[in-house]
Formats: sequence, structure tokens, C-alpha cells
Amino acid sequence: MKGPHPLLLVAAALVLAFLLAPMLAVVVLSFAPTEVLHLPPRGLSLRWYRDFLTNDRWVLATRNSLVVGTAVMVLATLLGSMAALGLHLGRFRGRGVILALLTLPMVTPFIVTAASMFFAFSLVGLASTLPGLVLGHVVVAVPFVVISVLASLSTFDDGLLRAAASLGAPPWMAWQRVLLPRIWPGIAAGAVFAFATSLDEFVITLFLAGPGQFTLPRQMYANVREYMTPTILAASSLLFLASFLFLLATEALRKR
Amino acid sequence: MKRILAALAGLLLAATPALAQRELTIVAGGGTLQDHMRRTLFESFTRATGIPVRDTAYDYNVGPIRAMVQARNVTWDVVLVEAPDLIRGCEDGVFERIDWSVVDRSKFLPGGAITCGAGAIGWGIAVFRDLNRNPTGPSDWQEFWDVQRFPGRRTLRRGARMTLEIALMGDGVPAAEVYKVLATQAGQQRAFAALDRIRPHLHFWTGGQQPIELVNSGEVAFAAGFVGRTANAIRSGARLDLNWDTLLYSYDYWAVVRGSPNTANAMRLVDHITNPEPLRALAAAWPINPVTAAVANDAAIRAANPLMMSNHQDRGLQIDTEFWLDQGTDLEQRFASWLNR
Amino acid sequence: MLARPKLLAAALLAPLMLLLAGAFLLPVAVTLATAVTDREVTSSLPRTAALLRAWDGKELPPEPAFAAMAEELAAALEERRIGEVSQRLNFERTGMRALLLRTARAGPRLSAPYAASLPALDPAWADPATWKLIRRAAGPVTSLYLLRALDFTRTPDGEVQAVAPDQAVFRTLFLRTLWVSLQVTLACVLLGWPVAAAIAALRPPWSSAALFMVLLPFWSSVLVRSTAWFALLQREGPVNQALVFLGLLDAPIQLVGTRAAVLLATAHVLLPVAILPMAGVMMRLDPRHAQAAASLGAGPWLRFRRILLPLSLPGVLAGAAMTFLLAVGFYITPALVGGERDQLVAWFIAQFLNRDVNWGMAAALSVYLLLMAGAVAALLRLFTGRGLASAP
Repeated sequence: MKGPHPLLLVAAALVLAFLLAPMLAVVVLSFAPTEVLHLPPRGLSLRWYRDFLTNDRWVLATRNSLVVGTAVMVLATLLGSMAALGLHLGRFRGRGVILALLTLPMVTPFIVTAASMFFAFSLVGLASTLPGLVLGHVVVAVPFVVISVLASLSTFDDGLLRAAASLGAPPWMAWQRVLLPRIWPGIAAGAVFAFATSLDEFVITLFLAGPGQFTLPRQMYANVREYMTPTILAASSLLFLASFLFLLATEALRKR
Repeated sequence: MKRILAALAGLLLAATPALAQRELTIVAGGGTLQDHMRRTLFESFTRATGIPVRDTAYDYNVGPIRAMVQARNVTWDVVLVEAPDLIRGCEDGVFERIDWSVVDRSKFLPGGAITCGAGAIGWGIAVFRDLNRNPTGPSDWQEFWDVQRFPGRRTLRRGARMTLEIALMGDGVPAAEVYKVLATQAGQQRAFAALDRIRPHLHFWTGGQQPIELVNSGEVAFAAGFVGRTANAIRSGARLDLNWDTLLYSYDYWAVVRGSPNTANAMRLVDHITNPEPLRALAAAWPINPVTAAVANDAAIRAANPLMMSNHQDRGLQIDTEFWLDQGTDLEQRFASWLNR
Repeated sequence: MLARPKLLAAALLAPLMLLLAGAFLLPVAVTLATAVTDREVTSSLPRTAALLRAWDGKELPPEPAFAAMAEELAAALEERRIGEVSQRLNFERTGMRALLLRTARAGPRLSAPYAASLPALDPAWADPATWKLIRRAAGPVTSLYLLRALDFTRTPDGEVQAVAPDQAVFRTLFLRTLWVSLQVTLACVLLGWPVAAAIAALRPPWSSAALFMVLLPFWSSVLVRSTAWFALLQREGPVNQALVFLGLLDAPIQLVGTRAAVLLATAHVLLPVAILPMAGVMMRLDPRHAQAAASLGAGPWLRFRRILLPLSLPGVLAGAAMTFLLAVGFYITPALVGGERDQLVAWFIAQFLNRDVNWGMAAALSVYLLLMAGAVAALLRLFTGRGLASAP
């Protein structure tokens, strides 16, 4: 059969250009030497990156983001991988309901999730605390882990586990020696997704972060509202670069 | 299920390292002003008392403070708050009553010492324009409303508070009678009708830097913006005319968060940072509008800072916080409704 | 290890289920409860509330209710918990805060009979409407917030009526949210369809490359992309410069703060969300259908209309539903690039939560937003026979 219709390709290319152009423009603009933004830029400078790296507020926000992201990654990967294994092993009747429950946080309007967590967490003293923020991020990050691990489990041959068992291997050994080596790329990709989700999350952070607990997106928002400096563009570009690396990592893991 | 949540909470809380006897935490609006406050106010307190002070910034959202107090997990001691939030928070027990035996009550300007707050800095909004683009401009709110004589777009802050007072003055109500008129149904209708009259010429800003940017880019001819920011722009070379006769002002207050384990030291901190000496140092570094009388009326400081609000406060209208606490919910909703139309 | 797989599966699933129950389902339930709970009067003025509940609701309540009111208001002021109840009542009727505070301050000076001394202090206490209002607010449940969130209110006698036209905000707001979300969804589906079809039709590595170009913005932060638009759309920003340079504009115009900017930026942010489900469905389509049609002489347009379009419809619906669900709750993008007439429901939720500290209104608006999202999910299920969970 012939390839796709040229018209389709042209349309797709135009839309893809529209998708990527703003981000690329921001990356280019982040190297601007002046506060007024010109395209193409009139010269190059690392001024705004230097500002980002030396300004206490941005450094603190970066540190906060990394702390929260790491905690979210560990918790979400652990809980999500276990749950995916459970879903894979048990072909029980409530499976559909559980899957639906897992995906609910993805389809509930974020503002509602965030407001709800604020209400409930204030009742038990979790609102405006670091553990509360981590919990909130885990809820929206964990579906990605489950989906990623489930996908890698779907290509795993359960016969291997049975074979290991019939050879007398205790279950934990069969898991460790047979199952884990096969599905770890899925788990690792899930971990990357979880970290990326937390790093980019904004609305839940806005409500759950303690006053003064600024993460990168929150710091960016605070700055944009007040006074637009190109430092924000430098921060955006760095976050964009991070997403790019995450995506490369998950693609590499997927191919394993 | 609630128990599960509580158990989970306990688990996570146990996992975070227990905070030992912590230093005092003071919270303000951030930015350059707070950098100067650290150098002149907070660090001099540590020098005088040996008590370490950590400062952090917030965005004036009181929701999280309430959550903190409700959760009995108070990590802030002293915070800079706006008057309405202070009074509401005081009635709700979010803020401690100021201990006037520690903080000297007599040093403040009128209205600077209230139950839960010690006056920190004044702020206000007033009309300004770009002198290059508009050599002449409205001298009062009535002229601001005169779009024939002074054509061009105008920008006001989005929200009913201040805008409705301004609308009445634009319609000819003398400043002294604004709140009396605005308390009546007829007066409220009059304010909205006045806004309707110049609606096509009106724009509403939200972020404090926007009025300056709008005037700089020529997008609006006349803007009502925060006087501190306008004064800063003038000091850094902008050719702006700031009209003090259109001033509306209020104070921000230092408040002590209720349930702070450091209440006694927090009161000492509040007293220190409202004392004349540290404030003089702050005023020398950065143009602020002190609420401490000795500094606000200091002839030397006044002369050194002609653009300081304290110099012009007597020409302005003080925003009636109590009025807005009583009528604000209704008026803000009606303003939102008006904006929608 | 497979001896008790069900038990093992349950044990593996339990921690996450507990987390989701505790940190997601329960909070949503709390929100529903917050929207209909009325506890301020009962918790601040318990005795008055009990006496008013026993009152027949005609004329004025008995003397003990007056006395309890005077005492409890004074105590609430002294113990600093009068704010909540005065805000709650003031929200329903302007002037109640002033009335309560004045009465509380005068409390210690008032003397029996309170049925006379309270009205002497403020004639509002002689108005049965005041007492009816307080009685109705004595909970435990209220429809006030749910009604107000749709611009309805109650008369003193409890009848539901629309608020005055100059107070109406929220119906316009919901309609605007719906309208903006629909426009964005439509734009995303129309723009996204060719990309999804191309991803499905291209061969590797081109298909992977195209997919990568969709995933990259999908994984970069919504805030980063909204900020990008905010920067690009400035009056002296690159988009204006380009338009002037191309001769399309004589002078830069205001872009930030317009509805067009909101639509543009929101559609851009949500486009990958629309593309991915569509591409997922189209990639699974059997290319032999199209081949068979082509061999029967069907031209590209006919093949598109009769085969590709109908077969990709489940993907289109799933993509549209996901886009719409995210759009109705959008907060950052309109807040950054929108003007005063472009804010959606989410902005008001945030405002009520963080600024106004009116949790009942924030919760009520959330409830309606949830209902809107639930209706969309249900519609999708109705049309495709599948839920969102099965969408890729």
C-alpha cells in the first residue's frame, strides 16, 4: 500500500510545528541578553541562567522540587509496582473496578482533586506540610507507574514462574531471579514518570504546599504574576530539558 | 476511613525529623523589600537578643495559615498581613492578641495598633501617568472620570475594594462621605452606574507591576497603581507624574500566629521591628511608609524621601477595613457580576 | 507461589488501594460534605441553636433564646471564635457580621429581659427574619452553597429564588467554562486528528519520531507551556513583533488578557491529550480495511469518510472526553493569559479557598465541576460502551 496521503502529512507536520514551536522559542529566548524579548535574539548570553543558579529563591525552589520529586518517586514506584503485580496475578472479579479507581485521579479535574485534598488534609493536620504535599503528588503520579509496569508485565510469560516453581525455587527467588529482571525497565520507566509528574505538578502544590514551600513551578508562577523576567524562561527551559531527558530515558527503557 | 487517613498521617509525620527548638520564623511579601528588612530589622533583632530569626516569603494567601493553625502545626511565628485578613483572623483566633505590655502601643500612627496587629508598613494606590505621553492629566477622581477632557484608557485594580470608593469620588462624592454613601443601596448603585459610564475606557489589573508596564507601553493613559512601585519607577528614572490627591491607603500589620511555640519571643520581635531605630535604617535603605510615628514624622527622613507616602498621607482616604469586612462579600460578588456583563 | 494467588494479589494491591481511598476518595467525600455542612452556628452558639430548633418559627423566639444569644455571642468574642459564625451569616445576609459583633461587644452590659434589650441595641433583633436565618443556619446540613453556586438563594421563609441580577455570577461562569472547554476540545480534535492519523500511518522510525514530538510537550509542565505563551504574547513580545514584521499589524496589540489567548494557549496545552488516545485507537486499526477499499477503487476521500473516520471514532471520542475533562478544570492557563472575562470555575475555586476562606463555596463549585466531569465520562461510556479506563 502507498504511504499516507501527502495532505495528511502536511497537516500533521504543521500541527506538530505548532506544538513544539512555543517551547523552542522559549529555549531560544532564554539566552537573550536583554529583558526585552526579540526573535531572533540579538545576541546570546547566559545571564538568566546565572541568575537562576545564584538566586537563593530559585535554588531553594529547585531543592524543594528535587526533595518532593524523589520522595514521590520512591513511594509511587513502590506502591504502583506492587499494585500492578497484584493486578497481573489476580484475575479476580473486582479488577475492572480497581482499574477504574486507579485512573480516577487522572480524569478528575485537578482543581477538584487539589481542593478536596486541602479540605481533607486540613482535618488531619496534613495540609501545608511536606508529607501532605508528597501524598498529593503520589496520588496523581501513581497511575503512570501502574500502567507502565502493567505494560511490561503483559509481555511477561507466566510459564517462566511456574517453571521456576517446578524446579523447586521458593517464590521469592523465582520473583527475584525470573520476574524482576524482565520487568525492571517497566518499573524504572514508571519511576521516571512519577518523578516527572511531581516535578511539573502545580495546582495541587498551590493548595497543599506549606506557605513558603516553593517548588519550581510555584516559584515560576509567583514570578510571572509579579514581574516577568527572562529568568523564568531559563527555568522553563531547564524544566523542558528535564522532560526531554525523562522521555529519552523512558524510550530507552521501553526498547529493552 | 478517617482513622486510616489519620494513621497514615501519623506515619508520615513520624517520618519527618522532629523539629527541635526552632528559631523564630518571620514571613513577609518577599522581594527586595524583604531583603532590606532582613538586613535592617531581623538581623538587628538577633544581634540585640541572640535569638536567631529566619525569614521566608508568602503570597498573602491566608488559607494556608488557617490550615496551619487548625492542624496545630504552626511553623510560622510572625507574619505580615493585610488589614482585612488580620481582623478576620483575629476574630477566628488565627492570630494572637498583641501583648501591649511588650509592644509599646503609643509609638504607632492612628489605626496602627489593633487587637491582633502592630502596624508594619503603609501602602496605597494613586493615579499616575507618563509625562512624555500625557503632559496633562486628571488632578482628582472627578477629572479621572472626565474622558472628554482627558481621553485614553484608564486602569484600576480588579476587585470591588477601592474601585467602588473611587467610582463614588469620580461621581463627585467628597472623600469624607464615601463610606457613608457606599453603605446605602442607592450609593452602591451610584458607584456601579459611575463605573458603567466609563466602562469602555476601563481596564483592570491584577498584579502589582502591571500598572507600570501598562503605562510604560502606552497601553493605558492613566493608571491607579501601588504608590510604592510608582515611586520606585520614578526613582529609577521613569518620567511619571504621581498624583497624591488621589491616594487611597491602608496599613499592613505584623501579626503573631496563634499556637506558635515562640509567642513570647515573637512579641519581642514585633516590638523590635516596629521600633524607630531599626525602621530608620530600613527607611534609609528602601523607601517604606512607616506606621511608627517617630519615623513617619521624622523631618530628615521626609526630606530625604519626597516620594514617601507618609509625606502625603493627609491628602488621602484611609480604606475602611471594617466596612469591607461587613459589606465585602456582597459587593465583591456584585463587582464580579458587573465584570461579567 | 501460585497456591494462593488471590490472597497475594490482594496483599499487593492493598497498600495502594488504602492510599487512594485515604488520599483521594475520602477527600472527595469530604468536599461533598463540606458543600452541604452547616456547622458554624451550632459550634459557636450551641445553646442558641438548640433553642432555635425548638422554636416554632413564628413571630419571635422565646426569651431564653435571646438570653442564650447574648451570652454566647459575648463568650465567642472573648474566646475568639466569633469570626466563623459571623462570616457564615454575613455571607447569607450582608450586615449580620456587624450585628453579631456589636451585640457581642455589648454582651456584658446587656441585662434581662434580653427580648427587650437586644432589640433596643439593634432593631434587627426584633425582625423575625433575622432569627429565621440563624435557625436555618443551625444545620446540620444546608443547601445554601449549592444554591449560591448556581445564583439561587433563599428568602427568609426558605423559598428558593434567583439572586438579584446584579449579583449573578456563577451561571455565566459555568456556561463560559463549558463554552471555552467545548471550543478547546473541538480545536484539539480537529488539529490532533491528522497528527494521530499520521502517527498510525507512518512507518518506523517516522511514526516513533512523530509520537515523540507529541509526548515531549505532553510530559513538559502545563505551567511551563502556559508561561511560554505568556512570554510570547506580551505586547512587546515575539508574536506581536512577528505580526508587525509580516505587515499583518500596524502596531502591537494586546494579546495577553484576551479570550483568544486563552483558547490558543489552552488548546496548545491540551493538544497532546487529544492526540494520544486517537493515535492509540488508529494504530490498532487493521490496514487491510483501507487496502480492500482502495483495491475496490475507492479514492482517498471516500476511504477517509467511510473507513478511517468511522473506525477512528472511539479514539476521537476518548480523546475529546479527556481533553474536555481537563479543560473544565483548567486553572493556570486562563489565570496567566486571560483577562477579567476569561476566568473559569477553577479560578473562583482557588479564590474562595485561598483568599476569601469560604470553603463552602469552594466545595460547592467543586461539586458542580465533578458533576460536569462525571456527565462527560458517562456520555462517553454511553457512546462507546467503554469507560475512560479502557482508553489507551
